[in-house]
Amino acid sequence: MSATAGRATLGFRRTALTGAVLATALGGGALLAACGAGGQDGAAGGPARLSVADSYIPLPPAGGMAAGYLTVRNDGGQDQLVKVTSPGAESITMHRSTPSRMEQVGSLDVPAHGALQFSRGGTHLMIMGWQKAPVLGDELELDLTFAKSGTISVKVPVKELTYRPGQS
Amino acid sequence: MPRTTRTTRLVGAVAVALAAALTLSACGSSGDGSGAAKVTQQKDATPYEGTKLTRNFEKPDLQLTDTSGQPFDLRKQTDGKTTLLFFGYTSCPDVCPTTMGDIGVAMKKLSPEERQKINVVFVSTDPQRDTPKVLRTWLDSMGSDFIGLTGDLEKVKAAAKSVGIMIEDPVVNPDGTVTSTHGAQVLAFLPSDDKAHVLYLSGTEVKTYEHDLPLLAKGVAA
Repeated sequence: MSATAGRATLGFRRTALTGAVLATALGGGALLAACGAGGQDGAAGGPARLSVADSYIPLPPAGGMAAGYLTVRNDGGQDQLVKVTSPGAESITMHRSTPSRMEQVGSLDVPAHGALQFSRGGTHLMIMGWQKAPVLGDELELDLTFAKSGTISVKVPVKELTYRPGQS
Repeated sequence: MPRTTRTTRLVGAVAVALAAALTLSACGSSGDGSGAAKVTQQKDATPYEGTKLTRNFEKPDLQLTDTSGQPFDLRKQTDGKTTLLFFGYTSCPDVCPTTMGDIGVAMKKLSPEERQKINVVFVSTDPQRDTPKVLRTWLDSMGSDFIGLTGDLEKVKAAAKSVGIMIEDPVVNPDGTVTSTHGAQVLAFLPSDDKAHVLYLSGTEVKTYEHDLPLLAKGVAA
Protein backbone atom coordinates (compact mmCIF):
# COMPACT_ATOMS: atom_id res chain seq x y z
CA MET A 1 0.00 0.00 0.00
CA SER A 2 2.74 2.44 -0.73
CA ALA A 3 1.32 3.92 -3.82
CA THR A 4 1.98 7.45 -2.83
CA ALA A 5 2.46 10.50 -4.85
CA GLY A 6 6.03 11.39 -4.27
CA ARG A 7 5.62 15.08 -4.46
CA ALA A 8 6.45 17.42 -1.71
CA THR A 9 3.55 19.13 -0.12
CA LEU A 10 2.54 21.59 2.48
CA GLY A 11 5.23 22.97 4.61
CA PHE A 12 5.96 21.36 7.86
CA ARG A 13 3.53 22.50 10.48
CA ARG A 14 4.70 22.45 14.04
CA THR A 15 1.40 23.75 15.19
CA ALA A 16 -0.27 20.58 14.11
CA LEU A 17 0.72 19.15 17.44
CA THR A 18 -2.21 20.38 19.34
CA GLY A 19 -3.92 19.89 22.60
CA ALA A 20 -2.53 17.57 25.10
CA VAL A 21 -0.27 16.01 22.59
CA LEU A 22 3.34 15.94 23.34
CA ALA A 23 5.54 14.44 20.76
CA THR A 24 8.95 13.14 21.41
CA ALA A 25 11.19 10.95 19.41
CA LEU A 26 11.55 7.58 21.00
CA GLY A 27 13.69 4.59 20.45
CA GLY A 28 15.52 6.00 17.52
CA GLY A 29 12.40 6.52 15.52
CA ALA A 30 12.63 9.60 13.42
CA LEU A 31 9.87 12.00 14.14
CA LEU A 32 8.06 14.76 12.38
CA ALA A 33 10.77 17.23 11.63
CA ALA A 34 13.07 14.40 10.82
CA CYS A 35 10.76 12.27 8.86
CA GLY A 36 11.44 14.00 5.64
CA ALA A 37 15.01 12.91 5.91
CA GLY A 38 14.46 9.30 6.79
CA GLY A 39 15.82 6.42 4.87
CA GLN A 40 12.50 5.22 3.64
CA ASP A 41 11.91 7.55 0.80
CA GLY A 42 12.56 6.42 -2.67
CA ALA A 43 10.44 3.37 -3.30
CA ALA A 44 7.94 4.37 -0.63
CA GLY A 45 7.19 7.72 -2.17
CA GLY A 46 6.77 10.87 -0.15
CA PRO A 47 7.32 10.73 3.55
CA ALA A 48 4.40 10.81 5.90
CA ARG A 49 3.98 13.94 7.99
CA LEU A 50 2.14 12.87 11.05
CA SER A 51 0.64 14.64 13.99
CA VAL A 52 -1.66 13.41 16.71
CA ALA A 53 -4.67 15.30 17.98
CA ASP A 54 -7.82 14.90 20.04
CA SER A 55 -6.47 12.07 22.07
CA TYR A 56 -8.35 10.93 25.15
CA ILE A 57 -9.10 7.96 27.34
CA PRO A 58 -12.58 7.87 28.87
CA LEU A 59 -12.24 7.04 32.54
CA PRO A 60 -13.05 3.33 32.62
CA PRO A 61 -16.17 2.57 34.67
CA ALA A 62 -14.46 -0.13 36.67
CA GLY A 63 -11.12 -1.78 36.77
CA GLY A 64 -8.61 -1.69 34.07
CA MET A 65 -10.44 -2.11 30.79
CA ALA A 66 -10.27 1.20 28.98
CA ALA A 67 -10.60 2.50 25.48
CA GLY A 68 -8.41 5.14 23.90
CA TYR A 69 -9.22 7.46 21.02
CA LEU A 70 -7.12 9.83 18.94
CA THR A 71 -6.66 11.21 15.48
CA VAL A 72 -3.49 10.82 13.45
CA ARG A 73 -3.30 13.51 10.82
CA ASN A 74 -1.09 13.10 7.85
CA ASP A 75 0.10 15.93 5.64
CA GLY A 76 2.35 13.64 3.66
CA GLY A 77 2.53 10.19 2.13
CA GLN A 78 0.80 7.06 3.30
CA ASP A 79 1.87 5.32 6.49
CA GLN A 80 0.61 2.67 8.83
CA LEU A 81 0.14 2.46 12.56
CA VAL A 82 1.56 -0.92 13.44
CA LYS A 83 1.93 -0.97 17.19
CA VAL A 84 0.91 0.92 20.30
CA THR A 85 2.60 0.46 23.63
CA SER A 86 2.76 2.32 26.92
CA PRO A 87 5.10 2.33 29.86
CA GLY A 88 1.97 2.60 32.03
CA ALA A 89 -0.07 -0.32 30.74
CA GLU A 90 0.66 -3.94 30.00
CA SER A 91 -1.31 -4.35 26.85
CA ILE A 92 -2.62 -2.03 24.19
CA THR A 93 -4.33 -3.43 21.17
CA MET A 94 -6.11 -1.92 18.22
CA HIS A 95 -9.73 -2.83 17.71
CA ARG A 96 -12.66 -2.07 15.59
CA SER A 97 -16.18 -2.29 16.93
CA THR A 98 -18.53 -4.14 14.69
CA PRO A 99 -22.26 -3.95 15.22
CA SER A 100 -22.14 -6.59 17.91
CA ARG A 101 -18.59 -7.20 19.00
CA MET A 102 -15.01 -6.07 18.66
CA GLU A 103 -12.39 -7.37 16.32
CA GLN A 104 -8.70 -6.90 16.80
CA VAL A 105 -6.72 -5.41 13.95
CA GLY A 106 -2.98 -5.74 13.41
CA SER A 107 -2.38 -2.40 11.78
CA LEU A 108 -4.25 0.65 10.66
CA ASP A 109 -3.66 2.70 7.54
CA VAL A 110 -2.86 6.37 7.81
CA PRO A 111 -3.87 7.58 4.38
CA ALA A 112 -1.77 10.10 2.49
CA HIS A 113 -3.00 13.63 3.12
CA GLY A 114 -5.73 12.29 5.30
CA ALA A 115 -6.26 11.05 8.80
CA LEU A 116 -6.61 7.91 10.78
CA GLN A 117 -9.50 8.58 13.06
CA PHE A 118 -10.36 6.65 16.17
CA SER A 119 -13.89 7.06 17.44
CA ARG A 120 -16.47 5.70 19.79
CA GLY A 121 -18.24 2.76 18.30
CA GLY A 122 -15.51 2.49 15.70
CA THR A 123 -11.75 2.08 15.75
CA HIS A 124 -10.39 2.26 19.26
CA LEU A 125 -7.48 1.23 21.40
CA MET A 126 -8.08 -1.29 24.12
CA ILE A 127 -5.91 -0.58 27.12
CA MET A 128 -5.43 -3.24 29.78
CA GLY A 129 -3.17 -3.88 32.72
CA TRP A 130 -2.75 -0.37 34.06
CA GLN A 131 0.16 -0.07 36.45
CA LYS A 132 -1.89 2.33 38.48
CA ALA A 133 -5.65 2.62 38.31
CA PRO A 134 -6.43 5.67 36.18
CA VAL A 135 -8.16 8.68 37.66
CA LEU A 136 -9.49 11.81 36.02
CA GLY A 137 -6.72 14.12 34.96
CA ASP A 138 -4.08 11.42 34.65
CA GLU A 139 -2.10 11.19 31.49
CA LEU A 140 -1.00 7.96 29.94
CA GLU A 141 1.95 7.92 27.60
CA LEU A 142 1.19 6.10 24.39
CA ASP A 143 3.98 5.21 22.03
CA LEU A 144 2.61 4.93 18.54
CA THR A 145 4.84 3.06 16.15
CA PHE A 146 4.37 3.66 12.46
CA ALA A 147 5.70 1.56 9.62
CA LYS A 148 7.64 4.44 8.11
CA SER A 149 7.71 7.30 10.55
CA GLY A 150 9.06 5.58 13.59
CA THR A 151 7.53 6.13 16.99
CA ILE A 152 5.53 9.10 18.15
CA SER A 153 4.91 9.44 21.82
CA VAL A 154 1.84 11.23 23.09
CA LYS A 155 0.49 11.95 26.54
CA VAL A 156 -3.16 11.06 26.51
CA PRO A 157 -5.42 12.58 29.15
CA VAL A 158 -7.94 10.56 31.10
CA LYS A 159 -11.30 12.30 30.66
CA GLU A 160 -14.82 11.79 31.94
CA LEU A 161 -16.46 8.59 30.83
CA THR A 162 -18.73 10.41 28.41
CA TYR A 163 -16.24 13.00 27.11
CA ARG A 164 -16.13 13.77 23.40
CA PRO A 165 -13.49 15.95 21.73
CA GLY A 166 -14.73 19.45 21.14
CA GLN A 167 -16.65 19.63 24.36
CA SER A 168 -15.06 21.13 27.41
CA MET B 1 -26.15 20.39 11.28
CA PRO B 2 -23.99 17.44 10.44
CA ARG B 3 -24.87 15.67 13.64
CA THR B 4 -28.49 15.67 12.82
CA THR B 5 -27.70 14.35 9.43
CA ARG B 6 -25.82 11.50 10.87
CA THR B 7 -28.54 10.63 13.31
CA THR B 8 -31.03 10.71 10.57
CA ARG B 9 -28.95 8.49 8.44
CA LEU B 10 -28.58 5.96 11.22
CA VAL B 11 -32.23 6.17 11.93
CA GLY B 12 -32.92 5.48 8.34
CA ALA B 13 -30.49 2.67 8.20
CA VAL B 14 -31.95 1.01 11.20
CA ALA B 15 -35.47 1.37 10.02
CA VAL B 16 -34.41 -0.61 7.03
CA ALA B 17 -32.47 -3.11 9.03
CA LEU B 18 -35.38 -3.66 11.33
CA ALA B 19 -37.34 -5.07 8.52
CA ALA B 20 -34.92 -7.95 8.57
CA ALA B 21 -33.84 -8.81 12.07
CA LEU B 22 -31.98 -5.88 13.53
CA THR B 23 -28.76 -6.66 11.84
CA LEU B 24 -27.65 -3.10 12.38
CA SER B 25 -24.91 -2.86 9.89
CA ALA B 26 -24.80 0.88 10.15
CA CYS B 27 -23.73 1.24 13.69
CA GLY B 28 -20.01 1.19 13.21
CA SER B 29 -19.99 4.34 11.19
CA SER B 30 -19.00 7.38 13.08
CA GLY B 31 -17.57 10.29 11.30
CA ASP B 32 -18.75 11.16 7.88
CA GLY B 33 -21.60 13.55 8.09
CA SER B 34 -22.68 13.41 4.52
CA GLY B 35 -24.29 10.67 2.61
CA ALA B 36 -27.34 8.58 2.71
CA ALA B 37 -29.81 10.67 4.66
CA LYS B 38 -32.78 9.24 2.98
CA VAL B 39 -35.24 7.49 5.17
CA THR B 40 -36.93 10.04 7.37
CA GLN B 41 -40.58 9.17 7.26
CA GLN B 42 -40.35 7.23 10.52
CA LYS B 43 -38.93 10.20 12.31
CA ASP B 44 -41.63 12.62 11.34
CA ALA B 45 -44.36 10.48 12.74
CA THR B 46 -43.08 10.44 16.29
CA PRO B 47 -42.15 12.96 18.97
CA TYR B 48 -39.06 10.88 19.68
CA GLU B 49 -35.64 11.40 18.15
CA GLY B 50 -34.91 7.73 18.57
CA THR B 51 -36.22 5.31 16.00
CA LYS B 52 -39.86 4.42 16.29
CA LEU B 53 -40.23 0.68 16.11
CA THR B 54 -42.74 -0.67 13.70
CA ARG B 55 -42.64 -4.02 15.43
CA ASN B 56 -43.31 -3.66 19.13
CA PHE B 57 -41.49 -6.47 20.85
CA GLU B 58 -42.84 -7.82 24.12
CA LYS B 59 -40.62 -7.24 27.08
CA PRO B 60 -38.52 -10.41 27.38
CA ASP B 61 -39.64 -12.99 29.90
CA LEU B 62 -36.39 -13.10 31.79
CA GLN B 63 -35.49 -14.14 35.32
CA LEU B 64 -31.94 -13.46 36.38
CA THR B 65 -29.98 -12.22 39.38
CA ASP B 66 -29.66 -8.53 40.18
CA THR B 67 -26.62 -6.76 41.56
CA SER B 68 -27.61 -7.44 45.14
CA GLY B 69 -27.67 -11.14 44.39
CA GLN B 70 -31.47 -11.35 44.50
CA PRO B 71 -33.66 -12.97 41.85
CA PHE B 72 -35.06 -10.44 39.41
CA ASP B 73 -38.04 -11.00 37.15
CA LEU B 74 -37.79 -8.46 34.36
CA ARG B 75 -41.48 -8.48 33.41
CA LYS B 76 -42.81 -8.46 36.94
CA GLN B 77 -40.41 -5.98 38.40
CA THR B 78 -40.53 -3.44 35.62
CA ASP B 79 -44.24 -3.83 34.97
CA GLY B 80 -45.95 -0.59 34.08
CA LYS B 81 -42.74 1.40 34.12
CA THR B 82 -40.70 2.82 31.27
CA THR B 83 -37.71 0.55 30.76
CA LEU B 84 -34.52 0.99 28.78
CA LEU B 85 -32.89 -2.34 27.98
CA PHE B 86 -29.32 -2.94 26.83
CA PHE B 87 -27.34 -6.16 26.46
CA GLY B 88 -23.60 -5.87 27.02
CA TYR B 89 -20.65 -6.77 29.21
CA THR B 90 -18.41 -4.86 31.53
CA SER B 91 -15.05 -5.70 29.96
CA CYS B 92 -16.20 -4.11 26.74
CA PRO B 93 -14.19 -0.89 26.53
CA ASP B 94 -15.92 0.99 23.75
CA VAL B 95 -19.58 0.58 22.92
CA CYS B 96 -20.94 -0.59 26.29
CA PRO B 97 -19.57 2.14 28.57
CA THR B 98 -20.22 4.77 25.91
CA THR B 99 -23.84 3.75 25.57
CA MET B 100 -24.53 3.35 29.28
CA GLY B 101 -22.52 6.46 30.13
CA ASP B 102 -24.50 8.58 27.71
CA ILE B 103 -27.77 7.31 29.14
CA GLY B 104 -26.40 8.12 32.58
CA VAL B 105 -25.66 11.70 31.56
CA ALA B 106 -29.15 12.15 30.17
CA MET B 107 -30.75 10.54 33.22
CA LYS B 108 -28.97 12.99 35.48
CA LYS B 109 -30.64 15.86 33.67
CA LEU B 110 -34.08 14.62 34.64
CA SER B 111 -35.91 15.70 37.74
CA PRO B 112 -35.93 13.11 40.52
CA GLU B 113 -39.58 12.43 39.74
CA GLU B 114 -38.91 11.80 36.07
CA ARG B 115 -35.89 9.75 36.88
CA GLN B 116 -37.90 7.46 39.11
CA LYS B 117 -40.19 6.67 36.26
CA ILE B 118 -37.47 5.10 34.15
CA ASN B 119 -35.73 1.79 34.73
CA VAL B 120 -32.38 1.40 33.04
CA VAL B 121 -31.60 -2.30 32.75
CA PHE B 122 -28.24 -3.70 31.69
CA VAL B 123 -28.21 -7.43 31.00
CA SER B 124 -24.81 -9.10 30.96
CA THR B 125 -23.78 -11.14 27.96
CA ASP B 126 -20.70 -12.28 29.84
CA PRO B 127 -22.11 -13.76 33.06
CA GLN B 128 -18.94 -15.71 33.72
CA ARG B 129 -17.05 -12.52 34.47
CA ASP B 130 -19.91 -10.19 35.27
CA THR B 131 -20.78 -11.21 38.78
CA PRO B 132 -23.39 -9.12 40.61
CA LYS B 133 -20.59 -7.28 42.37
CA VAL B 134 -18.63 -6.54 39.19
CA LEU B 135 -21.80 -5.32 37.53
CA ARG B 136 -22.66 -3.05 40.44
CA THR B 137 -19.24 -1.41 40.50
CA TRP B 138 -19.33 -0.86 36.77
CA LEU B 139 -22.89 0.47 36.68
CA ASP B 140 -22.31 2.81 39.60
CA SER B 141 -20.11 4.91 37.35
CA MET B 142 -23.09 5.54 35.12
CA GLY B 143 -26.05 5.45 37.47
CA SER B 144 -26.29 4.08 40.97
CA ASP B 145 -29.92 3.16 40.36
CA PHE B 146 -29.26 1.31 37.10
CA ILE B 147 -30.37 -2.28 37.26
CA GLY B 148 -27.78 -4.90 36.38
CA LEU B 149 -28.80 -8.46 35.63
CA THR B 150 -26.63 -11.52 35.26
CA GLY B 151 -27.14 -15.28 35.17
CA ASP B 152 -27.65 -18.10 32.73
CA LEU B 153 -26.29 -17.06 29.35
CA GLU B 154 -28.76 -19.29 27.53
CA LYS B 155 -31.63 -17.35 29.08
CA VAL B 156 -29.96 -14.09 28.13
CA LYS B 157 -29.50 -15.23 24.55
CA ALA B 158 -33.11 -16.31 24.29
CA ALA B 159 -34.33 -13.04 25.76
CA ALA B 160 -32.16 -11.02 23.41
CA LYS B 161 -33.30 -13.04 20.45
CA SER B 162 -36.92 -12.35 21.32
CA VAL B 163 -36.27 -8.66 20.77
CA GLY B 164 -34.18 -9.14 17.66
CA ILE B 165 -30.72 -8.99 19.22
CA MET B 166 -28.27 -11.78 18.45
CA ILE B 167 -25.97 -12.69 21.31
CA GLU B 168 -23.30 -15.30 20.83
CA ASP B 169 -21.16 -17.24 23.24
CA PRO B 170 -17.99 -15.46 24.32
CA VAL B 171 -15.00 -16.31 22.14
CA VAL B 172 -11.60 -17.01 23.65
CA ASN B 173 -8.96 -15.40 21.46
CA PRO B 174 -5.56 -16.96 20.75
CA ASP B 175 -3.96 -14.53 23.20
CA GLY B 176 -6.26 -15.65 25.97
CA THR B 177 -8.50 -12.61 25.97
CA VAL B 178 -12.22 -13.12 25.73
CA THR B 179 -14.52 -11.31 23.37
CA SER B 180 -18.22 -11.25 24.09
CA THR B 181 -21.14 -9.90 22.16
CA HIS B 182 -23.01 -6.76 22.99
CA GLY B 183 -26.23 -5.44 21.62
CA ALA B 184 -25.88 -2.57 19.22
CA GLN B 185 -29.06 -0.97 20.42
CA VAL B 186 -31.03 0.17 23.41
CA LEU B 187 -34.71 -0.67 23.45
CA ALA B 188 -37.23 1.55 25.20
CA PHE B 189 -40.36 -0.11 26.55
CA LEU B 190 -43.29 2.16 27.32
CA PRO B 191 -45.40 1.81 30.45
CA SER B 192 -48.67 1.80 28.55
CA ASP B 193 -48.28 -1.73 27.19
CA ASP B 194 -44.79 -2.79 28.35
CA LYS B 195 -43.75 -3.21 24.76
CA ALA B 196 -40.74 -1.81 22.90
CA HIS B 197 -41.56 1.35 20.98
CA VAL B 198 -38.32 3.25 20.50
CA LEU B 199 -34.85 2.10 19.60
CA TYR B 200 -31.45 3.77 20.03
CA LEU B 201 -28.37 2.60 18.20
CA SER B 202 -25.03 2.48 19.93
CA GLY B 203 -23.94 5.59 18.02
CA THR B 204 -26.79 7.64 19.46
CA GLU B 205 -25.75 11.02 20.79
CA VAL B 206 -26.34 12.15 24.32
CA LYS B 207 -28.61 14.92 23.17
CA THR B 208 -30.94 12.39 21.61
CA TYR B 209 -31.32 10.71 24.98
CA GLU B 210 -31.68 14.10 26.61
CA HIS B 211 -34.49 14.90 24.24
CA ASP B 212 -36.27 11.60 24.59
CA LEU B 213 -35.96 10.62 28.24
CA PRO B 214 -38.49 13.20 29.51
CA LEU B 215 -40.95 11.88 26.93
CA LEU B 216 -40.25 8.32 27.94
CA ALA B 217 -40.69 9.23 31.59
CA LYS B 218 -44.13 10.57 30.77
CA GLY B 219 -44.90 7.51 28.72
CA VAL B 220 -45.67 9.57 25.63
CA ALA B 221 -46.77 7.33 22.79
CA ALA B 222 -44.29 6.88 19.97
